[in-house]
Amino acid sequence: MPNDSNTGGVKLNKHAKGPRPQYFSDPASDKLLAMVMALAGEVSVMRDRNDTLERLIETKGLIDRSEIDTYKPSKEIMAERDSWRESYLSHILRIVDLDTGDMGRNDISSEFQDIMDSV
Amino acid sequence: MQVRDYEQFTHAVLPEVTAEEFSRQEFVKSYKKHLATQVSPNTKVVYETQVKPAFEKEHGRTPKNRHEIRKAMNANNHYQTWSSLLRTSQEMMWKSCQVPVERQLEKLISNSRSTKNAGGSLKLDPTLDIPRYHTAVDIHCQPGGYHTEVVENDISAGAVYDRGVYIYAMGQLGPMNDDIGASTAAYLKYAYPDLTPTRILDLGCSAGHSSVPYKTAYPDAEIYGIDVAAPILRYAHARCESMNVPIHLSQQNAESMNFEDGSFDLIVSHILVHETSTVAFRNIMKECHRLLSPGGIVVHAETPPFKDMADDFDSFLLDWDTYNNNEPFWSKSHEIDPPSAAKEAGFDPDRNFEFMAPSAFEAAKENRTNVFQGGDFGGGGFWYLYGFQK
Repeated sequence: MPNDSNTGGVKLNKHAKGPRPQYFSDPASDKLLAMVMALAGEVSVMRDRNDTLERLIETKGLIDRSEIDTYKPSKEIMAERDSWRESYLSHILRIVDLDTGDMGRNDISSEFQDIMDSV
Repeated sequence: MQVRDYEQFTHAVLPEVTAEEFSRQEFVKSYKKHLATQVSPNTKVVYETQVKPAFEKEHGRTPKNRHEIRKAMNANNHYQTWSSLLRTSQEMMWKSCQVPVERQLEKLISNSRSTKNAGGSLKLDPTLDIPRYHTAVDIHCQPGGYHTEVVENDISAGAVYDRGVYIYAMGQLGPMNDDIGASTAAYLKYAYPDLTPTRILDLGCSAGHSSVPYKTAYPDAEIYGIDVAAPILRYAHARCESMNVPIHLSQQNAESMNFEDGSFDLIVSHILVHETSTVAFRNIMKECHRLLSPGGIVVHAETPPFKDMADDFDSFLLDWDTYNNNEPFWSKSHEIDPPSAAKEAGFDPDRNFEFMAPSAFEAAKENRTNVFQGGDFGGGGFWYLYGFQK
């Protein structure tokens, strides 16, 4: 991967001066929308990169790109991918898992206060 | 110079981008295009079918102006989403242009100081006050605006702006971002065929995007450009020299300039007025009157005023930038009445003109939305010109 990080030592301010409008009744929705679009942008960047790779590999005569579309993973590779997706999803959905754990309790503030008092 | 109509023209100080940085910018361009062509039209449908009927039911009448429409639309979830998406696209756009500049600023500054000599000049004035209308908020959400400097001989504001404008307008201003200037010059050649200016002044020239086409239109004229911000003028100077176009740039406020009375035959501005203020515009008009030679012309190019919009809903769409894109004077500047401004500045009100100039960049024609709306700059296919002859 190329190094896109800032090696010039210069830091530009990334926030425009002035209040940012709140669009949704819950400001969390504004933040989530911005995060989703930032992620959509990164997926698009990766898609371009993958496309570049496929084209370069084909141009160099290493594969015919239709081989990628007709590729059938073996049983072992399928298992490997299943396992990767499982761990990937558990990273993303970590917050939902917590619903049945400590986060699902209603009296969390008083319970946490007890913990604070006891340490 | 190799110019291709599908990509930005490269010169000595245009930031280079890695493949990933390029993809990130391309995504923003597509994201904006999608909003303008696929999502924006639905705002009108939502208004006509949901928001307007609800308003009528509650108030027993239709909304009476763009402000009432805005208040009603602000509570609508579809509009909230569109607006939030558009604001986010603007923020992503600037960031996608800032990161490549941070990475190579040292090299860009070095390039800016070693460009060839096309015969232009640059005069900076470190004592000039940056007006409040540029410091109160960062205009069009460009962090730091045109004026912020982070290193010595800084050109970062210009480098970010040049690429940002290309993506902001989705390439609709042409490979050199020069469509507003080129379209205005084309109008002047058509409407005033006998005008042969020897000295032309471009107010608020920023990166020189619109200054350059006047050299093409009037090759014998000397072109001058002024702006309040040093980093963008340094950038403009390097860009113009690199493109072999001599422009004389100086750091001045258009409200009060150091040129002699009657020293220009043509004064132009492009999307300058909406980035000033009521008081500043009055001062600028007076300065234009002072600086013009008899028979000289001043012309301001902007997006059309509210009075030229088909209805209040279209005015509301055009007004989006005021409230969502840090453009505090956008709304009021689109209410300027040229005859009144002419009279106030000492021009003969009978010698003012207004014209909707078709875009000179033909290649973008078939992809335009032909709508004047937030986030779709250049999509209208026309520039609103208003001007005065002394």
